[in-house]
Amino acid sequence: MKIKLIRTGGIIPITKAAEAEVEITAHELEGLLEKIQPDSPAGRIKDGNYYELTAGNSRTPVDLEKIPDEYKALFSKLKSDLKIISNKKGPV
Amino acid sequence: MCKNHLNPIHCIVPPYMLTKLMESGNKKIADLAINSNFRSFRFRSDRIFFQQSSIREKTILGLIGKPGGKETMAMEVYDCKQKTDFMSANLLWDTRTNQKLTSVAGKNVIKGGKAAFDFYWQLFGRNSIDNKGLLIKQYVHFDKGMDNAYWDGRRMVYGDGDGSVFTSFTSDIDVIGHELTHGVTENEANLDYENQSGAMNESFSDIFGIMIKQRYNNQDVKKSNWLIGEKVMIGPKYALRSMKAPGTAYINHPELGDDPQPATMDKYQKLPDTSSGDWGGVHINSGITNFAFYVAAFNMGGYAWEKAGRIWYAVLTDKDLAQNAKFADVKDLTIIHAEKLYGIDSSEVKAVKQGWAEAKV
Repeated sequence: MKIKLIRTGGIIPITKAAEAEVEITAHELEGLLEKIQPDSPAGRIKDGNYYELTAGNSRTPVDLEKIPDEYKALFSKLKSDLKIISNKKGPV
Repeated sequence: MCKNHLNPIHCIVPPYMLTKLMESGNKKIADLAINSNFRSFRFRSDRIFFQQSSIREKTILGLIGKPGGKETMAMEVYDCKQKTDFMSANLLWDTRTNQKLTSVAGKNVIKGGKAAFDFYWQLFGRNSIDNKGLLIKQYVHFDKGMDNAYWDGRRMVYGDGDGSVFTSFTSDIDVIGHELTHGVTENEANLDYENQSGAMNESFSDIFGIMIKQRYNNQDVKKSNWLIGEKVMIGPKYALRSMKAPGTAYINHPELGDDPQPATMDKYQKLPDTSSGDWGGVHINSGITNFAFYVAAFNMGGYAWEKAGRIWYAVLTDKDLAQNAKFADVKDLTIIHAEKLYGIDSSEVKAVKQGWAEAKV
């Protein structure tokens, strides 16, 4: 399954993305997304970055601080592979 | 017995016990209890008085900083060691111990933080971010190669940059002033971070950020290049934003393309209120109000903080500035404050009106 990590926001609004082909079932992905769901924020972080994960047609906000140990290497690689894809337009 | 008092009656004694002790046959104990009760009464009434007093009353009483008063800046700088966990960050420097440090990022944020504190304190009598002497916390080397700086409601956080498009986000005083001003705005109008009010939130940060840099470098409106983050972006032709000519901070950049900021209201970009839509273009449409400020300040001449800065600070701290204010609301308030400060027919009022007219607001 192909997953894509997307980073948005920032003091200069840039969208970055990185993709990876992973061996994960739909059920496992669902469990992962549930675990890394962001807490509802008290307010929007000024100039903050936000992360989302896309898999298939779904695009879900994620909190990278909550990544379980078994997925840490994958997300660390995705994060370091992030490349700028847009800095001005709306959703990608 | 508490460690601060030699007499147990001066510690936290429940009121019913104190009443009983005041009636004690032992004169020494009764005297101490009466004295303690009096102190408690004074403390309670003082606290109520200070809670209810206005900022003006607090300033008169010396509870809030004022020019020439005693400096009360408190700051801590932490090294995140390229991790994302604030709890494990190392304290690099603080105002109490004023340690010597070798970290360039650490030195940068101390310099920028002091410049920002001094700006608000010396010009407006504002005592730190909350006007109550809040401890300024700055975290450097956050995450691996993070190309960003932000204010999270409690602290300022800076990344080292990716090394190709951006260098350390501590490199420019205006960026540090920008982040600190987000804290000031949060404690004043607390402008909603979306659409026009969000763009104003961003614009106030750019406006005060640039003035903090101009003041630190002793630059008047003509000498300043009005660029935000010119060192943060790698390459001599690039900056994060241009207040003088929004949309020109970077052109044909190999990674970023062109600066998307409009300078005028007819080019306002309607974007989705999502993170990928920059919350309705808060960093994009801020170009419009940045440009209005630039034109107003430039037409007033001299140092931006002396006249235009006073007007915009009066607006930022005005209780009539609504959380969901639109550009037109801010425009009206800047004109009202310019009239109050300099007179209805003053050249300053004309400069403010000219600024908004050029930005087509």
